[in-house]
Amino acid sequence: MCTDKLAIGLGKTVAVAVILVWSLFPITFILMSSFKPGQDIFAVPPKFVFSPTIQHYVELWNGWGVFFGGLLNSTIITAGATVLAITTSTAAGYVYSRYSSRMLNASVMFLIIVRLIPPIVVTLPLFPIINAIGLNDTHIVLMVLYATFFVSLGTVLMRTFIDQIPRELDEAAQIDGAGRLTILRRVIVPLAAPGILAVAVFVVVFAWNEFLFAFIFTATRAKTAPLVISEMIGSIDGVDWGVLFAASTVQLIPVLLFVIFMNRYLVAGLTAGATKG
Amino acid sequence: MRLNKITEALPFLAPVQILILSVIVIPSLYVVWLSLNASSFGQSATFVGLDNYIRVLTDPAFLLALGNTVLIVIFAVHLELALGLGMALLFASGLPFRRVLLVAVLAPYAVSEVIAVAMWRFLFDPDVGPVTAMLTWLGLPMLDWSFEPSHALIMIGLLTIWLHLPFTFIILYAARLAIPKDLYEAARIDGATAFDAFRRVTIPLLGPAIVVALLFRYIFAFRIFSEVWLMTQGGPARSTEVVAVYLYQEAFSFNAFGTAAATAWIMVLASLLLATGYVFLLRKQVAGNVH
Repeated sequence: MCTDKLAIGLGKTVAVAVILVWSLFPITFILMSSFKPGQDIFAVPPKFVFSPTIQHYVELWNGWGVFFGGLLNSTIITAGATVLAITTSTAAGYVYSRYSSRMLNASVMFLIIVRLIPPIVVTLPLFPIINAIGLNDTHIVLMVLYATFFVSLGTVLMRTFIDQIPRELDEAAQIDGAGRLTILRRVIVPLAAPGILAVAVFVVVFAWNEFLFAFIFTATRAKTAPLVISEMIGSIDGVDWGVLFAASTVQLIPVLLFVIFMNRYLVAGLTAGATKG
Repeated sequence: MRLNKITEALPFLAPVQILILSVIVIPSLYVVWLSLNASSFGQSATFVGLDNYIRVLTDPAFLLALGNTVLIVIFAVHLELALGLGMALLFASGLPFRRVLLVAVLAPYAVSEVIAVAMWRFLFDPDVGPVTAMLTWLGLPMLDWSFEPSHALIMIGLLTIWLHLPFTFIILYAARLAIPKDLYEAARIDGATAFDAFRRVTIPLLGPAIVVALLFRYIFAFRIFSEVWLMTQGGPARSTEVVAVYLYQEAFSFNAFGTAAATAWIMVLASLLLATGYVFLLRKQVAGNVH
């Protein structure tokens, strides 16, 4: 009995160790390597003790100004897409939660079916149209695209969260003379904050990291950070790994901290999103 | 409280519906029209019926891309499900520092495809990659992914699993936590072994979550683009293309919008087909949620 327990404990420890290495080794490796001096990056076996240097960050700063422009673009686009997705899905989720009709139920199915359309499909007609109206390579295009591909999930999530807010609160506010918009802003939004944060995690992570739309719809002015990094990977005269790792670290750290900090809302969103739509 | 008139609700609904209609639905329907015409960027179109579909479906490059996609979907999604299930059960069996471990497992969710590809390309680099060095040290063959298409597909499959395991794991773990403890208690009292309990309690009750996780991942793995594009650009010689990369090449490299559009609708139809089961499950849910 005692040896059994020991064996199970040992097995679990090994399993946990494997899981941790699998999940964290690639990330840690990039973060660490970005501080390794020149040849230490390529040392076999990998060095875990080294004298850290910021030389790759200096090179990044001096040689890749376009990367910092990309970071700025990514920030603007992520902020815009998140605000757009949250406001629109909260408003729609409110209606879906508080109002019921055949048409509304049918349109929920519609929201779910829309998620089945692969994003690359819409690039075909949108590419010439966006070029024709002169919106190519602008922030607004990516903001709208990123928000739109999450409003269906966002709306269904917000409905699920708003469903948990007692209707009596709406009624009380209405008796006090509040209009719909006031009820939404003063009653629903504060109480549905966990839902809003869950939607925010999805949109922020997606918009900050997205590649396909940025690749097709931007060229220079609105180029995002992932796109600049992809150019570093594909550079013809060989990859400068040190600089690439430094850029990756700068791009990754904010979103990684965000996910770590918001992990509760991410879990809640993933769970509700999978079971409710 | 109800919103009494639909006109009252409309301003709240309109933004979402306008976004979806103008960015997704109408463009997708326009793609149907494109797919029935021969056209390229900047030229007027001529109606050709189903020609584009026939051309795509008989194009060896498309069939290879479809085969690669199906391989990645089958290999990656099922392996991912098995890993996610194992991890969910491990976590549910009681671990110290569970919250910290959970956050560690979630970490890859934050990583962009671009950076994940950069990591993988370095870790598996034939000359300097640490994983390659480890494989050689263990006497295992290394992945010669830049020359050998099948090795490249294995790399892409592993990368996809790494990026999406947090999703699959969370779905299954949440479902596992939702199973009441009493059921295991009852099974134990009835003399069931741990394996019996797993087979008769865990698996049947996890069934719906497994189906949901699988369908989501089938649908999303089927549209895989960035990982492949950034890893191999579909090369060498178009041997590692997937359907989305084929579509991109047709449209943006060869200016063949007609066949690209046909490919797009083949993708949509495949997704719809995969999802019929899922939508059927959800309809029950939606019906159950009507107030």
